[in-house]
Amino acid sequence: MIQSDLIRGHLDTIVLKLIMEKDRYGYEIASCIKERTKGAFLLKEATLYSALNRLEKKDVITSYVGKKTHGKKRRYYKITALGKAYFKEKYSEWNTFKNILETLLEDDHERN
Amino acid sequence: MKEIDNFVKHTFKHVPKEERKEIIKQVTEILNEKVDDLMEKGYSEQDAIDKTVLEFGTAEDYYDAQDFTFHKPKTIARYRNDFLFSLFGALIIIAMLVFTDLYYTRQTIWFVLPTLAVLWWPLATLYRFLNKKDQEG
Repeated sequence: MIQSDLIRGHLDTIVLKLIMEKDRYGYEIASCIKERTKGAFLLKEATLYSALNRLEKKDVITSYVGKKTHGKKRRYYKITALGKAYFKEKYSEWNTFKNILETLLEDDHERN
Repeated sequence: MKEIDNFVKHTFKHVPKEERKEIIKQVTEILNEKVDDLMEKGYSEQDAIDKTVLEFGTAEDYYDAQDFTFHKPKTIARYRNDFLFSLFGALIIIAMLVFTDLYYTRQTIWFVLPTLAVLWWPLATLYRFLNKKDQEG
């Protein structure tokens, strides 16, 4: 189980990625994160819903009420054009960060 | 679902009024969806509600992810206690003043003036308490 503090800064990026794949509703995002990480990243749902609220205020995502196959209403979140741009930026930021950590922490880099 | 409504309202009762309504609406909606989801998966209604409430986390988890930091304000009960404390404190002081006055210097009644001064203490805390009550109400 990983400390959520480490990932928290990237929660927005994770949420945007999941919504970019397809429109999802709140709990679907939570269960999707749990499923894909096989429970390794235990995200407090309160934190996730708060992020959704914040992202919606920033116009990075929008929401609409849609129907699920079995009839019950759900509020789906959808990424906006601004959101896609934001995700791209965040993703490249993450890549840079990952490369830096790899360079610094791995043993097998060339020592000059 | 009544239980979810109450849980969410209780969780976010310290949020400033302007944001409270919106947060409660959003979270209640999502949690109700989750209960429906779990029930579709075969949970009984009570189990679904319990699981949802349990997995939600705390109001602090919610604020942590917001851009603002939120400090838990003094509750109305705290203001009431402050007032009661000052009231009893003032009464004791006034009783001592009256006693001293009547016992040692019966000829001159001087206790009224310091009593008026001491009364400002409970009056100030009462003012804050009523103010708070007005805001909450």
